[in-house]
Amino acid sequence: MGFTSNLFNLVGLVLLGHAVYSAHEHSSQNPLHLPSSPPSFSPLTTPTSTTSLPTDIVLETLFSVLLISTGIVLGSSSLRPIQWSKWAGQLEREERVKKSVKEIREGTGNPYRILEERPGFVDVRGKRKEFMEWVRKGDDLAAK
Amino acid sequence: MAGISDERELAIHPIVMESVQHNAKTISNIRSLTASLFGVVAGTLGLESYPGFIFYLVGSLTVSLLIYLFRTQGKPSAYFHRPLAELWGGEVFGGLMSFVLTWTLFYGLVRA
Repeated sequence: MGFTSNLFNLVGLVLLGHAVYSAHEHSSQNPLHLPSSPPSFSPLTTPTSTTSLPTDIVLETLFSVLLISTGIVLGSSSLRPIQWSKWAGQLEREERVKKSVKEIREGTGNPYRILEERPGFVDVRGKRKEFMEWVRKGDDLAAK
Repeated sequence: MAGISDERELAIHPIVMESVQHNAKTISNIRSLTASLFGVVAGTLGLESYPGFIFYLVGSLTVSLLIYLFRTQGKPSAYFHRPLAELWGGEVFGGLMSFVLTWTLFYGLVRA
């Protein structure tokens, strides 16, 4: 998606720049209001500026703006579903596919990660046994 | 009655506020970028008064259509709580000022 949007933006910007430059050149070649022309004509006969621009420049401008808007929309970050169930399901599937380094960096990952990645239960009996051995060892040392 | 059914609907299908904010921010970004762009085009084409504003509205509608096609995959209700207000009409008038700014700028630059 990124490459396509960049390509669209680039081509669109080049076309838009060309169109704007062409329009500027055209208006400087055929000025609408010559300073020497008397301002006596009625407003009805004033040439509207839209019709004075050649059709190819107009089409190029419109095409370029369509191209750039498509590129901007394609390049924007993708929307997220607002319903909790769909959103959580999408997160689960994404995390299963990739360990979502980007999401972690953005800080917008799975809000239940604390629950899902916690260590397992502590082995209480094993801990108690370790502690008793340690106490016994200390007793042995004290007896000596 | 409608309010109660809405509340019940929200209780059954809760909504993620983070996603709502993210979507609104995305739409706002797209709108502000394209608004300046439409201003460039309107100024270059030499539109004046009402045709310029109509061009802006048509352009915003086109952008909404593009978002509808490419970003929501034809299902805007999955991404927006109120699709009509947030997708089709969201932030349209927020970009109007930047539109007018670039419109007048490029009108003056091109047909000076």
